[in-house]
Amino acid sequence: MNISVELNTLDELHIKGIIGGEIDAFTAPILREKLSDITLLEKIHVELNLTDVSYMDSTGLGVFVGFYKSVTAANGHLELTGLSSRLKRLFDITGLVEIMDIQATDKEVKIDETV
Amino acid sequence: MNLRSSVDIITEWDIVAARQLGRNEAKDVGFGTVDQARITTAISELARNIYLYAGKGKIEIRQVTEGNLRGLLVIASDKGPGIVDVRKVMEDGYTTSGGLGAGLPGVKRLMDDFKIETVIGEGTTISASKLLR
Amino acid sequence: MPQEFKRQYKEILEQYTLRQTEHNLYEGQNISRQLIQKNISPEEVISIHKASLEEILPELPNDVWHSFDLLIEVMIRYGLALKEHEALIQKQENFRMEMELAANVQQTLLKTKVPDMLDLDIGMISVPAKEMNGDYTHFLHDDTTVGIAVADVIGKGIPAALCMSMIKYGMDSLNGAETEPTIVLDVINRIVEKSVSDSMFISMFYGTYDTSKSLFTYASAGHEPPLFYCAESNSFSELQAKGLLLGVISNVKYEQHSISLEKDDFIVMMTDGVTECRSKDGFIDQNTVMDIIESVRDQSAQDMVEYVFHKLEELQEFEQRDDFTLVIFKKK
Repeated sequence: MNISVELNTLDELHIKGIIGGEIDAFTAPILREKLSDITLLEKIHVELNLTDVSYMDSTGLGVFVGFYKSVTAANGHLELTGLSSRLKRLFDITGLVEIMDIQATDKEVKIDETV
Repeated sequence: MNLRSSVDIITEWDIVAARQLGRNEAKDVGFGTVDQARITTAISELARNIYLYAGKGKIEIRQVTEGNLRGLLVIASDKGPGIVDVRKVMEDGYTTSGGLGAGLPGVKRLMDDFKIETVIGEGTTISASKLLR
Repeated sequence: MPQEFKRQYKEILEQYTLRQTEHNLYEGQNISRQLIQKNISPEEVISIHKASLEEILPELPNDVWHSFDLLIEVMIRYGLALKEHEALIQKQENFRMEMELAANVQQTLLKTKVPDMLDLDIGMISVPAKEMNGDYTHFLHDDTTVGIAVADVIGKGIPAALCMSMIKYGMDSLNGAETEPTIVLDVINRIVEKSVSDSMFISMFYGTYDTSKSLFTYASAGHEPPLFYCAESNSFSELQAKGLLLGVISNVKYEQHSISLEKDDFIVMMTDGVTECRSKDGFIDQNTVMDIIESVRDQSAQDMVEYVFHKLEELQEFEQRDDFTLVIFKKK
């Protein structure tokens, strides 16, 4: 039941966040609240790094999709980076990779290629 | 019936003045220590609400009689923004100090009778009374 | 009523001021139970204490008496907090009862009958993690064809359950089991996209099995891929079909695929309550799930789903985190 969310505002149109821990039904509301604090200016660019996320369930996925919709509505861009293969699979199955900007970690991309 | 007095609530210190007035009147009516403390706590809460949410207003205290019972009526009035959802502020656990038994539901519990009239943009008047039994 | 307690309290206090025995304290504890039952507030208790003391030790100095007035003032809020607490507990009980009723309504509403087909053995289990189920299973069928919808609302509890009813009405608007899977998903997606809040999404799998051709045709809206077991090669494969979750955007292209079933082949459809099982040593991976299924492949489809559920329940030490749904289609 632990999650860490660290949001760094590089400038008002560039925000880089680092998320760590577990994103499940208990912690997802915390994440949703933190993300809702971001002022979504026109053409905002948000990068969320998920390298340290050890677990995420569908509730967590819901938070990212909701946030993706808000960012897109503001003509902005949301980028999710550093996804482990396990996390990446969630975005693959749900078809979200087709519409969202999802970057797996380099290491695991290589592993995927050899499979 | 004709005994009435009031305190304007502008600063936080006026809350103390309102309490003092309430306590004197309560003693005068003949309320015991516990009921005195209940009435002053209710006055405190009402005055604090005025101070926090309306900026300024007035606490009026009247001695009343109902049948052969004597009692005290507290009227808190302000010209503040009014209360949008009265049902919600009267709900337990809603107040920002939730779970601490404060807020208007607390006032209602401390007193016998509780009435609230509010108009958005014009202000709020809350009347609460307690009879000596 | 307080008068009665005052008499009792005074007696206990008097005894205790004389002799400080454990017995007196025990009596004090007992009276506190009665005081709570009779709704006597803390400030009143202190007032009773003060009044009793005035009679027992009237010669105490004035500052002591004054101190009680401060204590009474301080305790008023404890009394209020206690009353509020009681009211909230009552409210919670009302919620719980309403919830139970709602769960019953949902069960009636979402009831689906597993069809009896000549050529196909069907097994189904769906167990909610909380009172309300966020998983949805629905069968459509006629003489030769059976349609199966398996859906999972992201999120649990009441919001998920309400969302479910929407799919139910969407499904009811379709005619018959032969409707193409991609059309089914498209219809439901349009309904969901229009009516659901921004952070609520549904994954759904739809398949139809045509007994005359032994052909299973399917499409998926971001749903966990079903497993296909081929009896001849004794191996599992995933039934992949690209397609976005329901409710994200309005125009989605869903892929549609078909697969022929031979005798003893079967298809395992599930929700992520099955694939996201966690034991204390970490995730229960897909291979484990496959091994469990394979070990009972000769049993009836219903026995299979029940066995898998119990086995996974055991591995998770009976702590079910998510709604769990498993359906097996097995060719006879």
